[in-house]
Amino acid sequence: MFAAIPSAALLGVEGHRVTVEVHAAGGLPGFTVVGLPDEVCREARDRVRAAILSSGFGWSNKRMTVNLAPSSQRKVGSGLDLAIALGVLVADEQVPAGCTDGHGFVGELGLDGSLRSVPGTVSLVAALGRVRPVVPTASHREAAVVGGDRVRVGDSLRGVVDCLLGEQPWPDPPDVPVVVDVGGSADLADVRGQILARQALEIAASGGHHLLFVGPPGSGKTMLAQRLCGLLPPLEPETALAATMVHSAAAVSLPPGGLVTRAPFRAPHHTSSIVALVGGGTAALRPGEISLAHGGVLFMDELGEFSPSVLDGLRQPLEEGVVRVARARAAATLPARFLLVAATNPCPCGGGAPGACQCDDGARARYLRRLSGPLLDRFDLRVPVHRPDIDELLLGSPGEDTATVARRVEQARDIALLRNGCLNGAIPAPLLDTVAPLDAAAKRMLRHELERDRLTGRGYHRVRRVARTIADLDPHVPEVITEGHVVMALQFRVRLAPMIGGRAA
Amino acid sequence: MTALPSAAYAATLAGLDRMTHARLTALVAGNDPLHAFSMITGEAPPSGIVARLFDIEGLLPAWRASIARRPPEAVWDACVRHGIEVLVRGSDEYPAPLRADPAPPAVLFARGSLACLDGRRVGVIGTRNATGAGRQTATSMGHDLAGSGVHVVSGLARGIDGCSHRGALAVLDGAPPIGVVASGLDVVYPREHAGLWDAVAERGVLFSEAPPGTAPEAFRFPLRNRIIAALSEVLVVVESRERGGSLLTVGEAELRNVTVMAVPGSVHNRAARGTNDLVRDGCLVATDARDVLVALGLDSRRAGRAAYDPRPQPTGADRAMLELCAEPRTLDQLTLLAGRSSVECAMSLARLELHGWVHQINGWFETIGTPSSAS
Repeated sequence: MFAAIPSAALLGVEGHRVTVEVHAAGGLPGFTVVGLPDEVCREARDRVRAAILSSGFGWSNKRMTVNLAPSSQRKVGSGLDLAIALGVLVADEQVPAGCTDGHGFVGELGLDGSLRSVPGTVSLVAALGRVRPVVPTASHREAAVVGGDRVRVGDSLRGVVDCLLGEQPWPDPPDVPVVVDVGGSADLADVRGQILARQALEIAASGGHHLLFVGPPGSGKTMLAQRLCGLLPPLEPETALAATMVHSAAAVSLPPGGLVTRAPFRAPHHTSSIVALVGGGTAALRPGEISLAHGGVLFMDELGEFSPSVLDGLRQPLEEGVVRVARARAAATLPARFLLVAATNPCPCGGGAPGACQCDDGARARYLRRLSGPLLDRFDLRVPVHRPDIDELLLGSPGEDTATVARRVEQARDIALLRNGCLNGAIPAPLLDTVAPLDAAAKRMLRHELERDRLTGRGYHRVRRVARTIADLDPHVPEVITEGHVVMALQFRVRLAPMIGGRAA
Repeated sequence: MTALPSAAYAATLAGLDRMTHARLTALVAGNDPLHAFSMITGEAPPSGIVARLFDIEGLLPAWRASIARRPPEAVWDACVRHGIEVLVRGSDEYPAPLRADPAPPAVLFARGSLACLDGRRVGVIGTRNATGAGRQTATSMGHDLAGSGVHVVSGLARGIDGCSHRGALAVLDGAPPIGVVASGLDVVYPREHAGLWDAVAERGVLFSEAPPGTAPEAFRFPLRNRIIAALSEVLVVVESRERGGSLLTVGEAELRNVTVMAVPGSVHNRAARGTNDLVRDGCLVATDARDVLVALGLDSRRAGRAAYDPRPQPTGADRAMLELCAEPRTLDQLTLLAGRSSVECAMSLARLELHGWVHQINGWFETIGTPSSAS
């Protein structure tokens, strides 16, 4: 007998439809799985056998051959268990052929026949296409993101078979908990002083400018970075779906509603490997932190402590918004359009006011050299953060709260999108003269900076983009960029140290 | 033949073989140079003192031979080509400080702007084999004097002379230097000072008693020294050996009642032995440019004269901002302290940075140098 059951396997964050073909014939009893299964997938043999026996079915002494078509593509993970088990039952004629028609199956089997959820259910269900997806109850929320009402759930192999045979009705999906959108836990109003840094957050959120905080330990760099997500508007439907798929594929828990709608915040530790950050791994091509931050914020504290290869690995995704991970046997394109927020100390000892630093020039130069010039150049905003002194804590007016600033950010983003078709941080250089014209004084200011070799050509364009965002946040939204906007934009381009040749990229 | 100016004949006379200062003075004094020239060529009868000169054995043939070798046209052509002015004693252009000199050059060659002589002038001279410290002293002396509006007079030799002029030239808007050399103004000596020669001639003025093409013969240096002494109001000797050429200049300066100052050095420093001797003999001591300015009557200390600062003085809000930057501050702090918006503060700081008043590093703003208290 022969059976073909639709299912799906994950590669990167994308699902691929897989047809599980099972052939039962005479000959030496055996159970083989072919079609490039990985280790986990090959072990399905033992799980499936145990689950079938535990569910009250019999195991026949036939020769069972399972083929995972298309057979040239690698299959990863345990999501095919349910489909294999059903294929075996159909091929063995324990379940009538035809009852699985119109359904696709995703789920891992326990030895007792229970169904467990697998990573990437969102993508897997999307890959199943028009058939009715059957998923473990625990995966319903994820499956419903793309499958909607068509999704059917089951708790065990026995249950699924009973429902397929019509002996029982399909169980109701579990209740979706009432979504309470807390809107980010950290509020900007908690930050005292830090006028410049707060403004930098607002600009970064409005223009999609990558942001680097430079300051001594304890100056509030992390506190500030955590508050950036709250300023970003809810994700666009497309981005939300892509982010949800990435979260699902990486087995990161999804928000109560299932769909990732708020900008995610990821803060990988500086010991993270390049694979953890960029994505990859042997065959599964698991999405990395930069993909998990898709649509949101990637915060890298102690930027200089990350290994140089990790930092260099960030450069391409920063430019393109996707990361292409290729391995000998597979390649995947993962989404990675994120806002990079990084924090670093100005020197190994942490620095502080001029004169307070204990490092010699050599040590400082070595420390800063770790932040490679090209990466440093990609930060539109390089903002000095200082330990607020007593005056600032006492005299500084309590800052605006997240909601107030977020409203301004949304307005500025709308203005920018209407004018450029993209956020200001992504304006192509040739378009700058049209969308961000400079007045004479502003030109003079920039010319002076260029003449003193404190701006590179790339830096010049970045300053102009930031100045555009600053102008968009201006209540009057002037068409032409004035000297004031440029001067502020230059304030957000701190010179790290004179030894990078007095050059501030 | 186009009519040459009489200066051309003066230049020719100055370049004749066996010409001395006394002979040239005798030729030119009371005579038009063209007339003196005619007397030598025999076109005019020699008169008075000139006739006696011609009695000297072999002098007239030698002079006629050198005129044949270098006719006035050639000499004048060289002067014009190198932009050299010929100043004849008694003419209006002749430098005023030399008019009353006991031994004024009868003919003087100049390249550059004679206006330099109108300002205050201080000679800074010394040995060619100077120590590093001596060079440093000469350079900063030249720099500070030029920065205070005093023209530095020196001889463009290796060592101290060159350093004092380099220091003076380093001040962009400083008083231009005055150089006095022994060779012709188109014969650079020492050769490594070619750039310095041109810089001095371009910014200030170069003088020589010798016409173009004259080699730096040894006997010309003491004569050069007398002009340095004559052009200086104060003569500073930075380093000199016990029998150095600088001491000859000092002698010339004493003849002319020019104040001489010496920079004392270590008793173990051979290069400072001459200057230490001067100090022992009661010479004024100069340890930096201020001492010299006091001797000139330009006391910067008591008069409270501001040091030369080319930066435009900040006004209004910018000045207030500059005062807040007296200790390193961040933009956030400045915004709070000034009570103005951060854009206004940033604009102020940008202007101050543009003019070189403040300097930003790691987000901290610091004042560079000290702003003068008078606004």
